[in-house]
Amino acid sequence: MPDPLLYLKSMTAAAIVSAVVMMAMVAAGRAAQNAWRNSACVIAVGTGLAIAFRVQSMWPTWPPVSALDRLVLIVLPIVLSLELLAGFRAITDRTAWSLRIVLAVVTPRILLHGSVYLDGSDVNWTMARIGVAMAISAVLLVLTWRLLVLLSLRSEGPSIPFALAITLLCGGASIMLAGYIKGGAAAFPFAATLSGVAVTLSISRWRRPTVDGGNTGCGGTALIGIGLVTLFSLLFIGRFFGRLSTVDGLVLLLTPLLCWVSELTVLKRQRPWMVGTMRLLVVAVPLTVVVVNARLDFDRRMGPLLLQKFSSLPSAAVGIIFGTNICPVDASTNTTVPSS
Amino acid sequence: MRTTRSAFCFVLLTVTLTGSSVFAADEYEYDLVHSSVSFKARHLDISWIHGRFNEVSGKFSLDRDDPTKSTFELTIKADSIDTANAARDEHLRQPDYFDTKQFPTITFKSTKVKGIDGGYEVTGDFTMHGTTKPVTIVLMGGEEHEFKGVKRVGFSTELALKRSDFGFDPKAIGPIGDKALIMIDCEGVQK
Repeated sequence: MPDPLLYLKSMTAAAIVSAVVMMAMVAAGRAAQNAWRNSACVIAVGTGLAIAFRVQSMWPTWPPVSALDRLVLIVLPIVLSLELLAGFRAITDRTAWSLRIVLAVVTPRILLHGSVYLDGSDVNWTMARIGVAMAISAVLLVLTWRLLVLLSLRSEGPSIPFALAITLLCGGASIMLAGYIKGGAAAFPFAATLSGVAVTLSISRWRRPTVDGGNTGCGGTALIGIGLVTLFSLLFIGRFFGRLSTVDGLVLLLTPLLCWVSELTVLKRQRPWMVGTMRLLVVAVPLTVVVVNARLDFDRRMGPLLLQKFSSLPSAAVGIIFGTNICPVDASTNTTVPSS
Repeated sequence: MRTTRSAFCFVLLTVTLTGSSVFAADEYEYDLVHSSVSFKARHLDISWIHGRFNEVSGKFSLDRDDPTKSTFELTIKADSIDTANAARDEHLRQPDYFDTKQFPTITFKSTKVKGIDGGYEVTGDFTMHGTTKPVTIVLMGGEEHEFKGVKRVGFSTELALKRSDFGFDPKAIGPIGDKALIMIDCEGVQK
């Protein structure tokens, strides 16, 4: 059963811990260097996630047997290491992107390892079909990644990591409503950590602007990489192991690209906070549609099983994400009724 | 010539002896039509939810003279879960429960068999949700019946398991109890 209070606790812990680690590292000395801030971002995200998983009792099992375990134990350490390396000036932009492309290619394979998709036991998924699906997934991940990094280099700010964070929140809610509770819950710590680090990074940039150049956007690129790979992996798991629809998965993956709306001439010359707000508002529209649609689909599928009236849509959606039980409310007694 | 004849007799004798030990065990295949693997689990700790697996296969060999040489194997397709409610079945196939895309089968393979009064005590490896644990089951029955020229044998057993022992997410247990009872009634058809 979903435990919204626990999710809230883990998100709070993730945001606070990652922000404190980030602040401590920024204050530690070479704060004005891009590479240092980038390293601080990666370490802060890693620490925040470790604490959140601990609070949420989501510690993965070794050896990793499920796709979610493989995300946390294999894909996540790789992307953290990659973004840590990419921050150093010795690593060229070309090398960094080559490594990112390799990661994008191997991630679907890692997530599907040992499943019916790769052992040929699922008649609906031939090796050719799953190969095409993995290739398309990798291409989409690389394209989205490249475009978001490009945008962040054109106009920096916390809005892109925030956009990824709210997409992760909505993606998590959609995966949960599609029936995979643990998979959806895994998205929440990532969203909180990204937000915590993005806020701290913005404050540190405002107080002490960077003094050197570099290819990383002083931490913003690392946050985009970590957030996007995580979002992609969770949606991929939700699609192939849960019941998240392909359309919802694609919409959720591509929605952060709507941040490019800020490059419209009419918005380009606005103040940074207004540009950031516009980006988030535009991104929020399709996300709301996806979550509402997921909720309606949940009602349609699970209605016959639960056999009572559901609570109203907004309160239910808020309840799922922020604090009350997913169980529907019996209108006659005004009590929640556990599902079977 | 005498050497060749002796060698032939030796080979014949060896084949006969070895063959007799091999063929002492009768080989049976799980008869899906006349068998069932069902289960029940507590709901809210006040009642039982019943279900079954519709796709099961298996084989066993019975050595009446030396029961320790008997073997039993069963493979259940987790995707074939059926609790008489399609929405619940779909939910149970998700990664929070059986994770059927990752762990498509539930299997049992015997490692030790002992003859007991009225059946067999079978110890073996039970694999579910990617976790293998040794379990011991008491198979009652074993009577043979020849029907239309085909020899059949039947067994039944019950097995109590804790889902949390097999890597199921404790948070997903919720209103359904951790403990599940699995009932196997199977009929084997001689190959």
